Amino acid sequence: MNCKEVEERNILEGYLLDRLSEPEREEFEKHYFECGSCFAQLQTGLALQTELRRQPAMPARARGASWRRAWVWAPAFATIVILFSAGIWWYSARNRQSSQQVSSPPKVSPNVPVQVQLTPAAPSLEELARVEPPSYSAVVLRGVEDESHETFRKAMQFYVSRDYPHAIPGVRAAAKASPQNASFNFYLGACYLLAGQTDPAIVSFRMTVSLGDPAYSESAHFYLAKAFLQKREVARAQDELQKTVQFHGSLEAGAAEILRQLPK
Amino acid sequence: MSLPSATSAGELRSLAERIRQGDASAETELVHEFSHRIFVMAVVRTHDREAARELVQDVLMAVIGALRKGQLQDADKLAAFVHGTARNLINNQLRSQMQSPPLEPLPEDLAQACSPERLEDAERVGLVHQALERLGQEDRKILWMTLVQSQKPGEIATALGLTSEVVRTRKTRAVKKVADLIRKKMSRT
Repeated sequence: MNCKEVEERNILEGYLLDRLSEPEREEFEKHYFECGSCFAQLQTGLALQTELRRQPAMPARARGASWRRAWVWAPAFATIVILFSAGIWWYSARNRQSSQQVSSPPKVSPNVPVQVQLTPAAPSLEELARVEPPSYSAVVLRGVEDESHETFRKAMQFYVSRDYPHAIPGVRAAAKASPQNASFNFYLGACYLLAGQTDPAIVSFRMTVSLGDPAYSESAHFYLAKAFLQKREVARAQDELQKTVQFHGSLEAGAAEILRQLPK
Repeated sequence: MSLPSATSAGELRSLAERIRQGDASAETELVHEFSHRIFVMAVVRTHDREAARELVQDVLMAVIGALRKGQLQDADKLAAFVHGTARNLINNQLRSQMQSPPLEPLPEDLAQACSPERLEDAERVGLVHQALERLGQEDRKILWMTLVQSQKPGEIATALGLTSEVVRTRKTRAVKKVADLIRKKMSRT
């Protein structure tokens, strides 16, 4: 057993929860008797388990869940607030206008068209669909790098220099060679999306989501939403953005903002 | 506090040899190197911290006794030897349910090196407490359901109205936050 396997197979959690078979348990113990890094993680896991056991039992449903239920009503509530505010604004503006008409005549030349901007213009669907390339930094694996990683790393040099169409063949080859690698699938989706190939981007992001790698799930949902926005499929984009928000990660605020600005 | 070191294979080999030659400081180094590992292994296998603390002493005494007598045939396999000894003694303990006669106790100086305070890793537990307080309630709940209630992501997802992948991601992220804080604070001490 090695560190990579420990991480990929979630061995540490299985060990703490007595979920491993005897041979797996033995293999992991032999490993951490020699590996300082995995042992430090195991100590943290055990300390975490110990500390959590000391805490009082938590309610069956976390408070966040009720907020999420409330979130379902948020669009309706927001609409009411907007309509109410618009009504107040319109009423006060009309009153102001009529009082101004009484006190002084308009000083605007009749030849100059008057442009009244009621509210800041809502961003268009195209603007909301605009994509910033997901950040990428090359990770050099210790030990021998396999062929697919090497292909991927080379192709991503095009990605870094924003030449997305040229990055696609290499990243696609890497993803084909290692279909279970979430990173390859995610960046393949990103390359397609940034190269304007929305449909294959959606396929790659869905593949990334299906792999369930915590490092890429949130981003895959977010960029799936972007892909759907590019296709003007607002309901699907909304669905993906709501999933993004649920991760409470770095993309939460961005996703919530787009949700707020999406045409109802 | 001293962290469990990732001693190189060469150092471990010389450790075994030095113990065979009667070097007392080498015995202390061995205790530092392995006492935490044996303790964690014993806690996980027995679910009994008190028994685990005693087992650490038993295992170390058995290992040191064997090394003094030169019974380790391949010095490269010291870690595997300690692990094998620990596994056998823990299994014996589980089978006999504490009825086996205790081994000879560790000498005082070595016993201090694996005292309960050191084994329990109080500093780490304290830091975990701080780190947990910084997490959101729902993330704490996900960790609690995972590590205390032993629930799988799908079950947690159903209970909290989330998807399994959200649960997995937030769990990973929460554990990472805790681990990062511990690493940061412990590297300062």
